[in-house]
Amino acid sequence: MNGDCIIKTNDLCKFYKGGAIKALNGVSAEIKKGEVVVVIGPSGSGKSTFLRSLNLLEEPTSGSIMFDGNEITNPKVNINIHRQKMGMVFQHFNLFPHMTILKNMTVAPMKLLKMSKEDAEAKARQLLERVGLADRANTYPSQLSGGQKQRVAIVRALCMNPEVMLFDEPTSALDPEMVGEVLAVMKQLAEEGMTMVVVTHEMGFAKEVADRVIFMDEGAIVESGTPEEIFDNPQNERTKLFLSKVL
Amino acid sequence: MEWFNNWIDKLHETFIVGDRYMTLIEGFEKTLIITFGALVIGVIIGTIVAMIKVFAHNSPKSKVLKVLDVLMNIYLTVIRGTPVVVQLLISFFIIFISAKDGTWVAMLTFGINSGAYVAETIRSGIMAIDPGQMEAGRSLGFSNIQTMWLIILPQAFKNILPAIGNEMIALLKETSVAGYVAVVDLTKAGNQIKNTTYDQINPILLVALVYLVMVMLFTWLIGLLERRLRKSER
Repeated sequence: MNGDCIIKTNDLCKFYKGGAIKALNGVSAEIKKGEVVVVIGPSGSGKSTFLRSLNLLEEPTSGSIMFDGNEITNPKVNINIHRQKMGMVFQHFNLFPHMTILKNMTVAPMKLLKMSKEDAEAKARQLLERVGLADRANTYPSQLSGGQKQRVAIVRALCMNPEVMLFDEPTSALDPEMVGEVLAVMKQLAEEGMTMVVVTHEMGFAKEVADRVIFMDEGAIVESGTPEEIFDNPQNERTKLFLSKVL
Repeated sequence: MEWFNNWIDKLHETFIVGDRYMTLIEGFEKTLIITFGALVIGVIIGTIVAMIKVFAHNSPKSKVLKVLDVLMNIYLTVIRGTPVVVQLLISFFIIFISAKDGTWVAMLTFGINSGAYVAETIRSGIMAIDPGQMEAGRSLGFSNIQTMWLIILPQAFKNILPAIGNEMIALLKETSVAGYVAVVDLTKAGNQIKNTTYDQINPILLVALVYLVMVMLFTWLIGLLERRLRKSER
């Protein structure tokens, strides 16, 4: 962790129905390079909306996001360029079912980074090796288990050499026995120094891997601190109430 | 068996004498050319129209897309609201007034007509794809159009292929009105032979038989292709 701020949001708001529903209500946060930030909170607290607005999959109603020195919320900015540097992993994997695993991983580097087929495939195979799926390169997503799909989804994002990885409840759609294999890959990634923002209900993962935990409720950040501070000594009543239910 | 021999003689006189069967073969070729040409034009137009409507639906803020969407709705309303024969007459006698060969005019007209019907099929095919696919494509850095082309359309086409096949079969039969604009297609060829030979029965029945066999062949081919596409996903 070298202390440089890579993502900075300022007073981020996301309203639906003309302000009747406030999914995000003034969220200001900083993510430092190499930091692993885990966002927790009850469902409907806006944590997923917050994560998804970081790469503008959700367009914020107001507020700004700085990424790597650029204000990506400026409408003149070509968001596609910046998204290349922000990998995203979804709850439902969202692998491309009409492509083999290898193609899933190489299509973006080849088209967007103009990588040669050989280079892209070499990199993809190397990453598959790392997550123990080297033998699945030429199969289709429908032939994989949920945990395998999610591991592929992670390495698909890594093929673009992202600077940040965003995880949107990556284990919520998995059978319990498959959660561990995905968390292991994420932990490994964290240890290698990847900057990660993770929305999850896995409190064990948050305690063990996070540098910082953010607790959100009702579209705002209620409390933020090290895992020890949040889990062992929460200050806010709402944090205490939430943790008493999930721990 | 006498009637059978008489019938064979009649067939010989109607189709073989004066090489009249050549008219039918040329008409058959014209029908195929117009059908396939129109199908290609129809699928291209249909895809573009469908994409504009989907993009306009997804980004309601864009004014350009809103204008295009309105234009597309006008196109759909006009084309679906008038008979194809009338459209053909308008094309040939009003718009392409200097056209000598009606084949191209017919191909274009049937293509533009078909595009309106294909558009709706493709649009619903695109809407049926999980929105997560678009999000995954966009999150990797692909633009809206790149994601549509590389990720959404290939999946959508698998779903809409049977409908496109049916459109081709409908087109094949619809082109039988091309004779209105001086195109000697299969139907017109049969009609011409009927008029020269005064054989009121055999030319028309043969034409019907050729259409039927073609439709059965296409149906079989589409089924084959569909099964192959499904297999590739398993």
